[in-house]
Amino acid sequence: MEIKSGESAAILGTSGSGKSTLLGLMAGLDTPTSGQVIIDQVALSTLDEDGLAVLRAEKSGFVFQSFHLLPNLTALENVMLPLELQGSRNAQQPATELLSRVGLAERLQHYPNQLSGGEQQRVAIARAFVTRPTIVFADEPTGNLDAETGRMIIELLFAMNRENNTTLIMVTHDESLASQCQRIFVLNNGVIQENAIE
Amino acid sequence: MQLNDIRLAWRLLLCDWRAGELGILVVAILIAVASMTSIGIFTNRVEMAMNDQTSRFLGADLILSASQSIDPAINTYADQLGLRQSDQLVFSSVLIANDQFQLSEVKAVDDQYPLAGTITIAKQSYADTQIVNQGPAKGTVWLSNRLLDRLQVKVGDRVELGQASLEVGAILINDPGQASSAMSIAPRLLMNLSDVAGTQVVQPGSRLKYRYLFSGPSSDRKTFANWLKPRLLPTQNLIGGKEGSPALNTAMDRATQYLSLASMLSVILAGIAIAMAANRYSTRHLDQSALLRCMGATQRTVISLYSWQLLIIGIIGSAFGCLVGYLAQQGLVLILADFIPGNLPTVSYAPFITGFLSGVITLIGFALPALLRLKSVPPLRVIRKEILPLPISSLFIYSLAVSAIILIMWIQSDELLLTVIVLSGIALCAFLMLLMTLLLIKLSQQLEPYLHGPWRSGLQQIIRHRRSNRLQILSLSMALMILLTIGLLRTDLLERWQTQLPDDAPNHFIVNIQPYEVEPLKEFLSVESVESTGLYPMVRARLTHINNIDVVEAVPDKAKLDQSLKRELNISWTDKIQQNNQVIKGQWWQPSTTPENLISVEEGIAKRLNINIGDQLSFKTADRVFTGEVSTIRSVQWDSFQPNFYFIFSPGSLDGYPMSYISSFYQPDNKKDVTYQMVRRFPGLTVIEVDVIMKQVRLILNQVTLAVEYVLLFVLLAGMVVLVASIQTTLDNRIQSAVVMRALGATKQYIRSIQIVEFGILGLLSGLLAIMATEIVAFFLYQEVFRLEPAFHPAFWALAMVSGALLVIITGIFFTRKVLRTPPLRLLKN
Repeated sequence: MEIKSGESAAILGTSGSGKSTLLGLMAGLDTPTSGQVIIDQVALSTLDEDGLAVLRAEKSGFVFQSFHLLPNLTALENVMLPLELQGSRNAQQPATELLSRVGLAERLQHYPNQLSGGEQQRVAIARAFVTRPTIVFADEPTGNLDAETGRMIIELLFAMNRENNTTLIMVTHDESLASQCQRIFVLNNGVIQENAIE
Repeated sequence: MQLNDIRLAWRLLLCDWRAGELGILVVAILIAVASMTSIGIFTNRVEMAMNDQTSRFLGADLILSASQSIDPAINTYADQLGLRQSDQLVFSSVLIANDQFQLSEVKAVDDQYPLAGTITIAKQSYADTQIVNQGPAKGTVWLSNRLLDRLQVKVGDRVELGQASLEVGAILINDPGQASSAMSIAPRLLMNLSDVAGTQVVQPGSRLKYRYLFSGPSSDRKTFANWLKPRLLPTQNLIGGKEGSPALNTAMDRATQYLSLASMLSVILAGIAIAMAANRYSTRHLDQSALLRCMGATQRTVISLYSWQLLIIGIIGSAFGCLVGYLAQQGLVLILADFIPGNLPTVSYAPFITGFLSGVITLIGFALPALLRLKSVPPLRVIRKEILPLPISSLFIYSLAVSAIILIMWIQSDELLLTVIVLSGIALCAFLMLLMTLLLIKLSQQLEPYLHGPWRSGLQQIIRHRRSNRLQILSLSMALMILLTIGLLRTDLLERWQTQLPDDAPNHFIVNIQPYEVEPLKEFLSVESVESTGLYPMVRARLTHINNIDVVEAVPDKAKLDQSLKRELNISWTDKIQQNNQVIKGQWWQPSTTPENLISVEEGIAKRLNINIGDQLSFKTADRVFTGEVSTIRSVQWDSFQPNFYFIFSPGSLDGYPMSYISSFYQPDNKKDVTYQMVRRFPGLTVIEVDVIMKQVRLILNQVTLAVEYVLLFVLLAGMVVLVASIQTTLDNRIQSAVVMRALGATKQYIRSIQIVEFGILGLLSGLLAIMATEIVAFFLYQEVFRLEPAFHPAFWALAMVSGALLVIITGIFFTRKVLRTPPLRLLKN
């Protein structure tokens, strides 16, 4: 499969079909036993652990099903974290801007356990985009949310994706969600197949 | 980048601190460091004070005493090192005034004397004393009060010493380096060294003692002593510094060692708590680490972040530990105020450095493995939660922890071998106690089928968490054991000692009674109706041979340095065995038919020197030798305060040898004037007031044990931290099951009952194990050290188990309060 810059792609599959594993491989979180993942002409297999880490830092953002916010950090601190890891000394301003963009300007100093599921995922989205990545990987981003909240999160994710001109690769088992992406891949019994958009 | 890591580490740490994740780690470090620092500062200060005291007492830091003048090279070397020096000559000579003759002990000193301390003199009898820093001027002498009395002279009169006539310049009250033993009290005289030649009393063959005093900074002193020691002739003796007052120093060394050991135990326990807390910390940060990696942090960044966090915790915890240690040490000084010699010197920085370093080393040694695990968390964990980092090899974990402890003990004691021995001892003890713990848990498991409700659930909790419970019971029982042992010794020993002593136990000893004073003294005592234990004759002699073999050759290796071989012993003879003595081997001689030269030997010295019935013992007094055969071995109750002897001969054996008598008597406080009359009437006697010394001993014993208990509180605290740390490791689990149980309808009360049962059993077992171990330790201490009948202490069993249970229940309930406070709904939602 090949995904072009700026495209949005969904990977559909039933539970246990291996779609999350595929996402992990594409994001360089894991290394494949066979086959190749190439991002911007760089084969991930040629990179060592640290090389992969640098690649993730520079190019990728992540949104997870279970949000993965650090419980002891406030919303703002959570969003600042990726910038700080890169050594940025002025992380607060972009983090605040992004949190305002996702509608949480009033919630900067709240801890994750003081936020609703939808709010937590919005923090996670802000965190994914704060480093201006070229690719955002999303793993079942609405899996833990009710339908209405999930819809709003997806709208936000797509809007942010357009605004930042990032590539979005999203794993989901929700066909209606997948249908909002430009391309849909189905993973079935270990075989990937691209479905044409109707 | 490093700076960025530190900044980020600090920020993440602050967040963890706010969330209460670091409490146990910091507290554990704090306790370890506080314990080390307080004991370190305290022993350091007391040691400095004692060295200072010893120097004042001796009049110099080091004294070289010799029977002949020394090689001038020694003085030259001391000069090169810049040590101050002073020379003395000590001899006995007859002093004449008003046609009276009196043998006196003469000390001739130069103008540099004393190098340390001061001389106290008076210008008239019973007048105010004054303190001076120099000996008598040329042409004058200072006499002790007794000497003045005997010669019937006063300040300003002249006395004759050999060919010289010298003016009495003052009354000598006290000067450094006075009589070395209470038994040899000839009246004393201090004179100027430059007058000695004029007296012409010092002739070839005179019995003289040369003393060379040295003082200077401790490092130079040490260099000098180290240089000198191998060059000493058999007739030369170096005292001062650590060697100054051996008995006191040995006691102090032991106390220091014991206290360091206790502080070491608190470090080890704190280390265990740290390891547990670090483990929990690392488990709770697996997601964080995976996320950081996912965000592009390299392994190096992750390890650097967590290492910086560790270091920051270590530095802060240790710094506060030093502060708490300093304050605690001030408390210790207060407790021991009466016992501490003089004013304590100011605190030196060394114990702080040792304490601080120990804190950081403990933290690294015990927490690093857990944190290293965070480095290897695969980033894929953000998607697949079940992925865990590879476990760190347990060999690595243990060897790092053990190395940390060895390193700390080495820093602390400077002796690697001793460190390893002590550590192995602790390990062996821990291992034995661990076996007992396993057995106890196994036994309580047998109870399960017979229990119901919260009892059953509580016990099941113990069995479920038996891995961490083993450690909890072990740490707590070790801490409790140490406290119980000290508590037991303090109460039990003092009590037994006090009950053993009858109210009218002798409280005065009289020594130096001359044969011609025996009858008048007996009469005096009966007139004043003072009840004495009788007058015992004694000859002072040195044990020289056992079965005609030189005694040093004859005794076992470990007895070669026995004090009894180095000094003259008091040897008596009697027909009847004394009260409080008991024959344990052989037969006491029959009064009328006794052959001469049979010896009864005290069992302790017989055992130490390996003396048996039938052995021939030879003694030397002045220039005469006498020999006898051992016929009985006797036990002696030394604390009966009657004159007691190592060696007692059959009557008649020592007739004709120079002897004096010794006695002891009881004198109530309100009749002290009798003692003064006795001293006036028999000025040659020396009366030792035992009750004053005893009071002092009791006070010291009480204060010292109190201080030790105080220090041991740190060990208990460390044990409690282990408890809390291990409760915390199971906290998430506990909350989860409590929530489920409550959702299923269990009341809070029910869940609390389960907790009480669980913690109660845990505490009970810890207390039980502790008292069992204490009894074993006490058994050996009583038998081997105190020579008391070992006893069983039922009251302590109850105390140990009840206090153990209460301690754990209260702590446990407090630290698991979150379990009951968390509403089930919130947890189920999460």
